[in-house]
Amino acid sequence: MKSRLKILRAERDWSQAQLAEALGVSRQTINAIETGKYDPSLPLAFKMAKLFKCSIEDVFTPDDGET
Amino acid sequence: MKTEEVRSLGSEEIRTIIMTAITGGAFGLLYGYGFEFSLWLGVLIGALFGAAIGFRITKKPPRMEYPMATFLLLTSFGYSYLLDQDLSQAQQYWAAALPLIGWTVLVISIGWAIASLDEMQRRIQTEAIAIGFAGTAIFVGGYALFQFAGLGDVNVGLVLLVMSGFWLAGKLWTLWRYR
Repeated sequence: MKSRLKILRAERDWSQAQLAEALGVSRQTINAIETGKYDPSLPLAFKMAKLFKCSIEDVFTPDDGET
Repeated sequence: MKTEEVRSLGSEEIRTIIMTAITGGAFGLLYGYGFEFSLWLGVLIGALFGAAIGFRITKKPPRMEYPMATFLLLTSFGYSYLLDQDLSQAQQYWAAALPLIGWTVLVISIGWAIASLDEMQRRIQTEAIAIGFAGTAIFVGGYALFQFAGLGDVNVGLVLLVMSGFWLAGKLWTLWRYR
């Protein structure tokens, strides 16, 4: 799964630590999501979308080949 | 875009890690002596665990860790003093069971620690525990095969140490994967 988290975060000039605090997760988790090493759970994805005031599809898109 | 804060360890934090590593080493020495296996191995693994705990403490200030560790040490090593006293057989059994109180507190503390983790950290722990479990199973099963070939009995304390070692290796591996 591809993530636009880094771009959305950069647009708001937030650090990983700030975003992590707002979402109630660790900075390592944010880093792993941004680098594509970890796919978040649905509740966390919804939380992210709500925080960025957009839909989940605006934050995450499937990889090529995924439906 | 803001630069990601990659915070280096300060001298206070390094001191904490060294202190916990020394404490862990001392604990490992006592463990190795008590269970009669390599003292060097006990010190090495104890120091590694101590350093890992110290690193954790620097990242997240402790809540129950210090009282829990004190209680654990007291109940683990206090019983050996009691066993040396002139006790009846029934009283010796009770004294021998004393460390279990400390271990129960440790398990509860681990439960609290896991509850405070986020979803990715829980996954890391789950994978580390799975690696620890599988590694221990291979060690125990493999050792049983060697016992058929005439190798002597192994102390159960060593099994616990092996399990802890595999868990630590698993945790480091999964941390590296999700770095």
